Amino acid sequence: MTEYLGILVFFALAGTVAGGFVLLASILGPKKPSKVKSEPFECGEPAFSVSAGHMSIKFYLTAILFILFDVELVFLYPWAVVFRDLGTWGLTGMSIFLGILMVGFFYAWDNGALDWK
Amino acid sequence: MTDLTLLVPEIVLVAMALALILVARRLERARTAATSVVLAAVAAIGSGWVLSSATPEVGFGGTLAGDGYAQFFDVLFAATLAITALLSIRHVDKERVRPGEFYALLLLAATGMLLAASAMDLLILYLGLELMTLCSYVLVGITREKTASIEGAVKYFLLGSFASALFLYGIGLTYGVTGATGFASIASAATERGLSGNPLLLAGVVLVIAGLAFKIAAVPFHAWAPDAYQGASAPVGAFLAAGSKAAGLAALVRVCIVAFAPEQPLWSNLLVALAALSILVGSLLALSQTNMKRLLAYSSISHAGYALLGLIPGTPAGASATMTYAFVYAFMTLGAFGIVIALDQRGENLPGYHGLAKTNPGTAALMFLFLLSLTGIPPTAGFVAKFGVILSVVSAGHIGLAVLAVVSSVVSAFFYLRVAVYMYMTDPQGAAPGRLPSTVSVALLFAALVTIIGGVFPDTFAAWTVPP
Repeated sequence: MTEYLGILVFFALAGTVAGGFVLLASILGPKKPSKVKSEPFECGEPAFSVSAGHMSIKFYLTAILFILFDVELVFLYPWAVVFRDLGTWGLTGMSIFLGILMVGFFYAWDNGALDWK
Repeated sequence: MTDLTLLVPEIVLVAMALALILVARRLERARTAATSVVLAAVAAIGSGWVLSSATPEVGFGGTLAGDGYAQFFDVLFAATLAITALLSIRHVDKERVRPGEFYALLLLAATGMLLAASAMDLLILYLGLELMTLCSYVLVGITREKTASIEGAVKYFLLGSFASALFLYGIGLTYGVTGATGFASIASAATERGLSGNPLLLAGVVLVIAGLAFKIAAVPFHAWAPDAYQGASAPVGAFLAAGSKAAGLAALVRVCIVAFAPEQPLWSNLLVALAALSILVGSLLALSQTNMKRLLAYSSISHAGYALLGLIPGTPAGASATMTYAFVYAFMTLGAFGIVIALDQRGENLPGYHGLAKTNPGTAALMFLFLLSLTGIPPTAGFVAKFGVILSVVSAGHIGLAVLAVVSSVVSAFFYLRVAVYMYMTDPQGAAPGRLPSTVSVALLFAALVTIIGGVFPDTFAAWTVPP
């Protein structure tokens, strides 16, 4: 256990120094409270406000389309790793899968999901 | 490669759904899309029939079955799909729902049902049921201009995702204890390694059954049903009541009898509680309903309870009674919803049925037939089905439950036959509804035919059932 003694001393010293400075600051430091300074998260920014106005609903569609390709990638990557072992069977299966995904993408495109208007 | 023949009905339905999605923007009339859905349903069953000799019993590493049990439900789901497509044409046009999307979702939901009925593995079962419910959420909310529709969809979605989480957690616990997700391996692991009393496995059983009880809207997992059925367009309500319930029952029967066979005492007791509550609460709450779709929703809750009765003994005969019940119930509820659809706005509320027999005797007679069948009065299929499940619960020694089922049946007669009284014994109000569209008539006559045949020749459908 003795080899841990150094660590214990280190913790004790660190605690004393850090605690000491906090204590000294609260005793000796000047205190000029203002409205902004008394807020729970004093950081110069107003704590509560709508930061960027309303988010356009169009981003939602973009996010959904992103998921389409994200899912595609999740399945493509492990398939690519064992591509040679799976052979024609794997290639056919992956083509069908991509085909079905592309139908969904075509649907989105066809119905104007890519037009930013 | 021969495994693929197992999936041919599913492939047919998905191919048609993809085709509809491709042309969705150019598809204006519901009739074209509905015709293609009916054709796909017929092709799915036909191809399954032709290939049935070449189909292996199980395939894909034992995760999918092509047995008689799956084929029985395949026929039921395809028939539900075709009838819903026929019933919905006018609604889709009138509510300005885009037909391509509507029928594609209907096809994909039916595909999920087919998968759920043939699943031999908890994960495939989850996949099938999720495909079905995800499409159902959208179908309930597809009439976007109606607030009730969106409200129903949101409630259905929130409760549904919660139930899916329970189901998944149950699968997780079961896998954790037995190390398997296949139905047969779960059962053999439980018996061979003496795990059947393991508390974690029992918790898994409870959670899986709770998740499935949500799909069939059994009390206390029924809260979504009245709002979803009422908010949804009537054809969607019909599809949910007939198809989604049958899919849940198909899954429940196979999971209980095959996967959780060693835990039979536990799930038997659970099902007794679920069935008793569903029958009682469904019948009592239906008494005060004035909206027809809501009334049919509560009726579907109590019918879920009746269907569960057959499963309680855990015997093949009981499972066969439950299968018959799911089959017969699908057609009689499709019929009753069909009349609501046929009468359009007038059919939504009870006062709309005043004096219907004087203005439209044919429609009133059909409605009377479906109501008799829902009550369980001979000579309709509803009576035969109800008799079968009550008989099996008596054979298991639950006399009290059987008495409760019969008494609730009498209570339900009050609200079903009240509609009949309105139709036959009061004077018509307002303008008479016009002639039914021919597609609706065809669908209604088909449902009526099944209801009568099942009642006059009681063994017809029971003979097709193949317990898992």
